[in-house]
Amino acid sequence: MTFLYPLGLLGLLGIPVLIIIYIIKSKYTEQTVSSTYLWRLSERFMKKRNPFSHLTGLISLILQILAVIAISLTIAHPILTMPGAAQDYCFILDGTGSMQMQHGKDSTRFEAGKQEIATLIEDSADGSTYTLIYVADKTTKVYEQTDSKAVARTMLDELKYSFSESTLADAQAIAQAYFAQNSGSKVYLVTDRGYQTHENITLIRLCDESVQNYALSQVTYAVQGEQLSVNGNVTSYRSDATLTLELYVDGAEQPVATSTVVTKREKATPFQLTTAACEFSSLEVRIAQSDVLGYDNSVVLFDPQSDDTYKILLVSDRPFFIKAALGAVGKTNITVKSTEEYDNDLGYGLYVFDTFTPATMPLDGSIWLINPLASSDDLGFSVQGEVALPEAGVLELSRDSTSMVQTLTADMTGEEVHLTRFVKCGMYRKFATLMTLEGNPIVFAGTNTYGNRLAVFAFDLHDSNIAMRMDFVMLIRNLAEFSFPAVLEQNNFYCTDTVHLNVLANTDSIRVDSPTGQVQYLSCESAVASFVPAEAGVHTVTMTVSGSPRTFFVHAAIPEAERNPVIAEKELSLVGTQTEGGFDGSYDALVLMFIFLALLFAADWVVYCYEKYQLR
Amino acid sequence: MSRFTVNEAFLSQLELLQSLLKNNVAGMFGGNRQSKNYGSSCEFADLRDYVPGDDITKIDWNAYARFEKLYTKLYLDERQMHTRIYIDASRSMDYGNGQKAEQALRLAAAFAYLSVCEMDKVSIFAIRESEVVPLVSGMVGKQSYINCIGALNDLEFWGDSYISKAIMPTNVGRGDGMSILISDFLTDHDYEDAIGYLVDKKRDVLCLQVLSREELNPQLRGKMHLFDSENASSTWRRNIDRDIAAAYKQALAYATGRIEEFCRARGASYLMVDATRSIGDVFFGSLADMEVIK
Repeated sequence: MTFLYPLGLLGLLGIPVLIIIYIIKSKYTEQTVSSTYLWRLSERFMKKRNPFSHLTGLISLILQILAVIAISLTIAHPILTMPGAAQDYCFILDGTGSMQMQHGKDSTRFEAGKQEIATLIEDSADGSTYTLIYVADKTTKVYEQTDSKAVARTMLDELKYSFSESTLADAQAIAQAYFAQNSGSKVYLVTDRGYQTHENITLIRLCDESVQNYALSQVTYAVQGEQLSVNGNVTSYRSDATLTLELYVDGAEQPVATSTVVTKREKATPFQLTTAACEFSSLEVRIAQSDVLGYDNSVVLFDPQSDDTYKILLVSDRPFFIKAALGAVGKTNITVKSTEEYDNDLGYGLYVFDTFTPATMPLDGSIWLINPLASSDDLGFSVQGEVALPEAGVLELSRDSTSMVQTLTADMTGEEVHLTRFVKCGMYRKFATLMTLEGNPIVFAGTNTYGNRLAVFAFDLHDSNIAMRMDFVMLIRNLAEFSFPAVLEQNNFYCTDTVHLNVLANTDSIRVDSPTGQVQYLSCESAVASFVPAEAGVHTVTMTVSGSPRTFFVHAAIPEAERNPVIAEKELSLVGTQTEGGFDGSYDALVLMFIFLALLFAADWVVYCYEKYQLR
Repeated sequence: MSRFTVNEAFLSQLELLQSLLKNNVAGMFGGNRQSKNYGSSCEFADLRDYVPGDDITKIDWNAYARFEKLYTKLYLDERQMHTRIYIDASRSMDYGNGQKAEQALRLAAAFAYLSVCEMDKVSIFAIRESEVVPLVSGMVGKQSYINCIGALNDLEFWGDSYISKAIMPTNVGRGDGMSILISDFLTDHDYEDAIGYLVDKKRDVLCLQVLSREELNPQLRGKMHLFDSENASSTWRRNIDRDIAAAYKQALAYATGRIEEFCRARGASYLMVDATRSIGDVFFGSLADMEVIK
């Protein structure tokens, strides 16, 4: 036995003090009575006493001495040594997607696995050591050889489930390395996978093979004429099944289309749901039947362009050409204002200033400057004056091979575009020059100091025939796509995928809300932000640009490899020979000491009342 | 301490007690009553065969006519009785709240009153150490009672008392009434010789053992060192627990039983009186049951 606080034993010094007090206090009470005759006579009638009966007067003292001893020991906090009772435990907890399947009535396999480990920890002798290897997105050793049950339990409780796809190979490697150094340790694998053989590992399998799971995969949609069709595959993993599929538009309560599909076991069966073409933000396909894993029973599809309506402010006194060209791009919402009407308006995705340069450039959208009369330091280029050509010059398409130039000049021929007057510009930021005239940049694009995408037409459209050429339409289209970057290229991912977001200019924050309400904020310092959807379901991405929030949705599906409720593996073994690993455990007697102390105080109180109220 | 006093209120109680006794029982021993010897009063007692020399005026001629044999009529000898009351005046009778002493005095006063009402002569003595101290001597009649009984108020209870040593050397009379001994009798055998002596003197002996509540049902518990009120050298030290308390009860029963048995064996009467018990209860209850009053 050892003591955590040996100084507590100094309390034993209270025993002699107690005895002295008892001796001083336990004097006979002197009293005069009329006659002692009857008292002396009573001794003739005394029964023969038990030899221990004389101790009855000392019961209170004995109890108090025991109480002092118990208090001292309690303060000293004794730890009893239990030879050979402790073990070294190594737990491998499978936290991959399939562990989210329902297990029992109100629990998942993952929660049941945690409970199994918690029970093993609680039932183990004090002094045992615990190591936990957790298999999720990546395999990590949560703690190693901690001897604190509380720490082991707490960190176990804090483990979050995962929807990832993983083999246990990494965990096996870590466990093998651990076992090689600690051959006496007991290794437990808590998983839903079945193994034909497992050596040096105790398998705690959390799998009910009678359960059923259905799943959707490869769901897409297409609009063909007047018809909207949704296609995909549905799989029944444990048996043949007849499944009902339902199509919901924009989260409506009633499906707009249903379909019944007969599936073979573990065979992906195609389905199609059709309805009339309509405007929508989201389409959701659901399997009507319930099973042990609900996450793969529905898929939500979003229109990636639904939020990308081009909202344009055109400030021009002669807007005809540019308005016509922008209108040809489609999905545009153009507001036209004259230069006099413009009053530092905000809230547009694209600002087009024709022959007008505002004193303060807007920060919440892309900017096109046509025939800039002036410039500022923020724009990244300078206006050096207007140049009138004696005869019309020919604009040349840039031959630059950079991807940006190639993208912005896609589908342009660069032929027979003439110009009679232009604005000479000097660039001191890096711009992609798209068209030149005798070496002068005439059409160029890039970003300004604030990160706003910027396109400059260094001439008046009325001084060129470009507006009459097909190249102008292509150029406007390419620049529009450049000016309205898609935040999300796609909306449907697996939980293991990384979602990339194109960060818009002047983005204040990017917030991602998971299906269960977990919130994470992404960095908006770089042009691309990314996150891995840790949960299956619809994640909401809120990008706040210059104070205006824009919302996008990402649907994350559970990996297909994790959808089978019964996963069979061949073997999982640790190389080596298991040795007897018991070592001295400990037993914390504090609770017992407290109980003992309480009993002593209760007993002393009873004795006190017994004597006080003359019960004896 | 408020001592018992013989006052008008108490005398009124005694009047009431006396009238109740007259109405409910034939009366009490003593007074102008017949002695145990045949005498010369007018009250016929019995017949016996005539013996030459007898007073011929006492021959029952009616009996001779009937039986043709001479019988001499016997008459009861009628004398005045002398009630002697002995009060144990030791300290043990007064220790504590004094209830025993008060009860002893009340009993003595009551018996004295009843006796004088029967025209008996009454003497009251205090037993202190080895002496009998007369408190009231030869009291006859109610007026005398009223004049003398106040002496009981002055009785002090102190010291020890040796009943036998005190009584036996004194004149206790012979066959002329009742001797009433009032004590707690918390002694070993000191009273036995005295009782025997009184019985031998053909006196009606009544022993009244007065005990207090503390003696009948002691509440002492725990470690006690007890000192005798009469004898400081007599101490008793024990941790009084339930067993000892039970043994005390047995000892009390033994002590009272022994004196009662002794009295019965010697033809004396015995009564244990609770110090808190009322006089009425004592007379109408216990004494009537014992036929001390008839």
